[in-house]
Amino acid sequence: MIFVRKAVFIDSIKYILFLSVIVFILTVSSSNMNYNWQWYRVPGYIFTYSADGSLEAGRLLKGLGVTVRISAISLVLAFIIGMITALLRLSSSFAARVVSRIYLELIRNTPLLIQLFVIYFVISPVFNISPFVSAILALSLFEGAYASEIIRGGINAIPKGQWESAYSLGMSSIDTYRYIILPQTFKQVLPPLTGQAVSLIKDSALVSTIAIFDLTMAGQAIISETFLTFEIWFTVALIYLLMTVSISTFVHYLEKRNSYAH
Amino acid sequence: MLIEPIISVNNLNKYFFSPDKSLKIDAVKNVTVDIFQGEVVVVIGPSGAGKSTFLRCLNGLEDFDSGTIVIDKIPLDHHHKNRLEIRKEVGMVFQSFNLFPHMTVGKNISLAVRRVRKKSVSECDKITVDLLEKVGITDKIDSYPGQLSGGQQQRVAIARALAMNPKVMLFDEATSALDPEMISEVLDVMKNLAKDGMTMVVVTHEMGFAREAGSRILFMDNGEIVEDRKVEDFFLDPIEDRSKAFLSKVL
Repeated sequence: MIFVRKAVFIDSIKYILFLSVIVFILTVSSSNMNYNWQWYRVPGYIFTYSADGSLEAGRLLKGLGVTVRISAISLVLAFIIGMITALLRLSSSFAARVVSRIYLELIRNTPLLIQLFVIYFVISPVFNISPFVSAILALSLFEGAYASEIIRGGINAIPKGQWESAYSLGMSSIDTYRYIILPQTFKQVLPPLTGQAVSLIKDSALVSTIAIFDLTMAGQAIISETFLTFEIWFTVALIYLLMTVSISTFVHYLEKRNSYAH
Repeated sequence: MLIEPIISVNNLNKYFFSPDKSLKIDAVKNVTVDIFQGEVVVVIGPSGAGKSTFLRCLNGLEDFDSGTIVIDKIPLDHHHKNRLEIRKEVGMVFQSFNLFPHMTVGKNISLAVRRVRKKSVSECDKITVDLLEKVGITDKIDSYPGQLSGGQQQRVAIARALAMNPKVMLFDEATSALDPEMISEVLDVMKNLAKDGMTMVVVTHEMGFAREAGSRILFMDNGEIVEDRKVEDFFLDPIEDRSKAFLSKVL
């Protein structure tokens, strides 16, 4: 008991020291630059009063809305793409394996920013795609490639006996995947897939480069008008952090609730 | 009157290559055997004799290189439909149980009946309850496999295979992974099954079971069937030297 208290005490000391260092660095860097902190101006960019006096979302919150929409749609698409790619790579068809492999290597070995530009500047004019759709396309193709590797790993980790017993009962491959393999796979890949979802949300900041007013772009615009560099970037970072942490917490809760006895 | 065998294996061959591909190893070699309805055929032999491989060929879990297998008049060939058809009629019980860990016992048993036999939910429920009674664990219907002992899991696995109402049951060392005190509860279920007239092919090391419940012994060594005899004849009077040597070690 005493050891536990001692450990907690030491941890608290470390934490306070860590915070002090950060505060020290910030103070020094801002005083060196003669930075004039104006935190009181930030809330106006989160909530604002409209002309008739009612409260409405400020520019940062509106940007957050765009980020959430892009991330949510891309997440669903990335999952579907990842699923299909994983199944193609594991299929017995040679062509399917080659196609999925090429997609995978292409996506994983080039920068996301370049992929975004290729889709936005090269592909979208041909098919007349909006920037919003280009962004979703780029993000879901990118994260889908990583998701597929996670899902493939999860499927491969299911013991061979599970396939054999399903087959010995006369079940088709599709039924075996649907009822036996995939439900077990999802439980295993939920944590790494959550990590991928968090990456997706962070990567979505790149869409600000193709003229989409997401959270990052909103922050950038506000800074260029007001020079509240530190305050806005910290706020933006905090909003991203709140989003990703709540996702991780939610998935952790799901995991606990759905665990079955082994 | 000529009775048709339910399983007819003709000149079955399967070989593996050693990891460096230099050596060809016969897992199953020139196996020819007919098994008739109601027979309990016990396959014994030293480890590595090809017993399990032979058994796994019978329901298409393992591909073979030459020969023919016909089960219930359906040839086991590269037609996927035939393979599925045969698997419906041939139940299998594995050494490591292979229950579906994410499903309750009840769901484990009823899933294939529902999906493959396309029975109604109420029929599935009835089959599940009846079979759990047969294997003696009615109170575990809502448990997950992880909550059961090894013996209970294996009995659920037998019930799951029986739920498909198969014509033949294959047992692949069904008691080898069990703690000693649980072996008899599984063997009892298998003996009752044999008594009820189920056609069974049993790979096992349990000589007691072979003597008590078996009707015929296939003694395999190096992929070949060395002796194919009635149980009592085999144990009283083995012919081949290899059988004699094996029996002297296990009895």
